[in-house]
This record gives sequence, C-alpha cells and structure tokens, in this order.
Amino acid sequence: MLTYVAATCVLWALSGFLAVAAALVLTVGSASGRARWRWLSGGAITLCRGLPTSLLVVAAGVISIRIPPQRWLLNPFPGTPEAAAPVAWAVLIALAVGSAGHLAVIFRTAYATLGRARLEQAIVLGLPPMRRLSLLSGESAMAALPPTSARLVHHLHNTAFAALFPVADLFGWIENGANQTFDITRYVVAGGAMYVLLSGLIWASFKALEMWLGRHLAPAPAGTRLGLPALGGAR
Amino acid sequence: MITDMLIGLPAQRPGGIALTIILTVGSASGAVVLGMVYAVICVGLPWLSLGLQAALAVARGVPVLLLVFALGQFTSLPLVVAGYLALLVYSLCHVGETLRGFLASYPRELRDQSRVLGHGPVRDWVLHRLTWTLSNSMDALVTHWISLLKDTGALTVLGIGELTTVATTLSLTSDVSQWELIIAMAGLIYLTVAVIGIQSLELLKKKMPPTERAVI
Repeated sequence: MLTYVAATCVLWALSGFLAVAAALVLTVGSASGRARWRWLSGGAITLCRGLPTSLLVVAAGVISIRIPPQRWLLNPFPGTPEAAAPVAWAVLIALAVGSAGHLAVIFRTAYATLGRARLEQAIVLGLPPMRRLSLLSGESAMAALPPTSARLVHHLHNTAFAALFPVADLFGWIENGANQTFDITRYVVAGGAMYVLLSGLIWASFKALEMWLGRHLAPAPAGTRLGLPALGGAR
Repeated sequence: MITDMLIGLPAQRPGGIALTIILTVGSASGAVVLGMVYAVICVGLPWLSLGLQAALAVARGVPVLLLVFALGQFTSLPLVVAGYLALLVYSLCHVGETLRGFLASYPRELRDQSRVLGHGPVRDWVLHRLTWTLSNSMDALVTHWISLLKDTGALTVLGIGELTTVATTLSLTSDVSQWELIIAMAGLIYLTVAVIGIQSLELLKKKMPPTERAVI
C-alpha cells in the first residue's frame, strides 16, 4: 500500500505544483491591462474549468498510451512501469490543467478583495512590479489560503482518475485489491482513511501557514494598510 | 440520445443535465447558508472553532464517491435524498472554507466606518460583513459550483439518472464506435452549462454597482 500512497503523493505534488504555477500565470494574464492577454487568459480559465477533469485525463491517456517509452523521460512515479511513464506524465499534465483554472479564479478573487485603495497605495510606494506583486500576494493570502487548501484536497481526489490507466495510485490499489480479494469493505475503509489522512495533512499545513502569516504580516493601525494612510478610507 | 442526455432516460425523468442542474443548485444553496454559519463561527471564535474546522477537514478528505456510496449504503434514505445530502456535505466542506477565508479578510476600514456610523453588531454583520463576503467571494464560489456540477457524476454509483449516469448507460447499450461520440457530447453539455453559468454571473455583476478590478 505504501508504494501506492507514495505514487499518489508524487502525482499530487507534481501536478499540484504545475497547476499552481499555471494558475499564477493565468491570474496575472487575466488581470493584465492588455485586452489580448485578458481575453486569452479568460478563455483558458473558462475552458479549464468547464471541461470535466475525468475527460481531460481520459483524452491525455488515450493519446499518450501510443507513445513508446523514451529514454530521456524520467519516471518518478513509484509502482508505475517504465513503459507507462509517458502516460503517467500525460495524466499529470491533464490533472494540472483540470485544477489550474479553478486556482486562477481563487487567486484573482482573493487579489481583488484588496480593493483599489490598497492597490493604489502599493503603486504610490514606487515598488518594482515584482516586489509590488509579492507584497500584494502576501496581503491577499489570508483570503486565498482556505479555498486553495480545499481545492488542493479536491485535486488529491482527482488523482484517482490515474487508475483508468496503468499508472500506480491509491485508488487503483483500492480497486485492484477489492477486485482480487472481494474484501471490498477492508480496501475501501483503508483507502478512504488514507485519503482522509493525506487531506488532513494538506489542511494542517495550510492552517499552519495561515496562522504564521496572521502573526507575521505586520498588523497595520486602524484605517491603514501597507503602513500608509488609506486612500479614500475612513479613519 | 440528446433528449435522454438533456432530460433523462424515459424511465428516469427528470434526469440527465436537468437533474444535474437541480441537484447542483439545491445542494449549493444549502451549502452556502450552512457555510456562512460555519464562517461566522470560525471568524468569531478562531481558537475555539479549531475542532469544527478539523471536523470539516476530515469530511473534506473523504472522496465524494465514497461519501455518496456510504450515505446510499448505510442509511435508509431514498437514493435521491442520500445523493443530495452527500453533495450538500461535499459542497459545504469547500464553500465553508472559502467563506471563512474571505470573511476573515474583511477590511478594517469598513469595520471602523460601520462603528463610526453607529451600526449595531447585528446590522454590521448582516448588512456589511456578510454582504461584502458574499459579493467578494462570488467568483471563488462559482468556480466551486462548476466543480460541483461536474462532480454530480459521482451519483452514478447510486444509479441516480443524472448526466454521467445517462452517458454511461447509453455507452453500455450502444455500439463501441458510439462511445467517443457519447462521451464527447456529455463533455460538451457540461462545458456549455458551465459557460452559461459563468456568463450569467458576469451579466449579473455588470448590473450590480461597479466593482474594482485589480490591475497588476
């Protein structure tokens, strides 16, 4: 079972990282001042959100299953045969695409809660764009962390779609074990408990980050943010 | 085939995408109300509510497929009710956290303004904080609802005739060459409903007072 748990963790971590990175790019694009970038990013977000992840995984798996294993292609997936490495990578990308749109909307919505006054304050500070983005990301993190954590738990559950192909994962372990032994309850309970444990770890990590941010983000005096008086805000 | 996908198989109507939408709207509405209560408790009592937050985290960790299966198998509820409850719990687990995050980010300036205007706690919470939280988290809620719409497919384990069940049934009863067409059509219907939902919200937002758009 541990091999399959490790396989699920690898699949979740790599595809989750890719999804967050893609979501950040889409967030920046959809909030861009240029109409073309906004339109392209908005379209990509809608498409990622609208298509069921199961269909994305099936399409990616069906296309990549014909690709022969490549020597240069790494196989970091425990329990997955070398021959199935291209399928595993394709499933990983499909999982990332399935979550990227949702994460982008969460990031964008959290960023928008800062309000124009605070965004203008950040501009007035004269910081370089990346420094400004990093500062505002920290400010909006309190709103973004809980839904991001919930979405990444959903992302963990989505890794179960890998079981549709010869890619090792926890759901595949439950399915195979139940089919081979007919001891369905045992495998479902054990697998379900492991999903709960992994989800609990994700929640606990994000909760700890939330508390850490709550303590370390400098508490501004009433009516101010970023250490400057609020523009247009009440004192 | 398309009629079955839209309104369900002849023996199971309403079904198809119509039932999917009914179940999504029903469970999402209930989850928003309960999620708001959860968020208010968590923001009001951050340390005392840690147990509640952990309990919801445990519920969130159960894959929706297992949740549906457990409620269908271990309760004597009618299957549609069990399915609805499973979706409600699943949605609450996600919506509750979203609302908690946004409610916790309620700006201090607005709190001060409300105090200066002499609004009591009830008026402050109902008129200002909850309204602000709902309007600011709307996009994040919608993205979860789209996810919920697609996840109603988990009800297929109970044989409830929503879109995924109809697509599966049609695939099993038709020729292998039809599978791709059926799956693509189901995907297209999900995508169309999702796009209609997103666009309806955009229209609704345009009719509301102008909001600030962040520009990076």
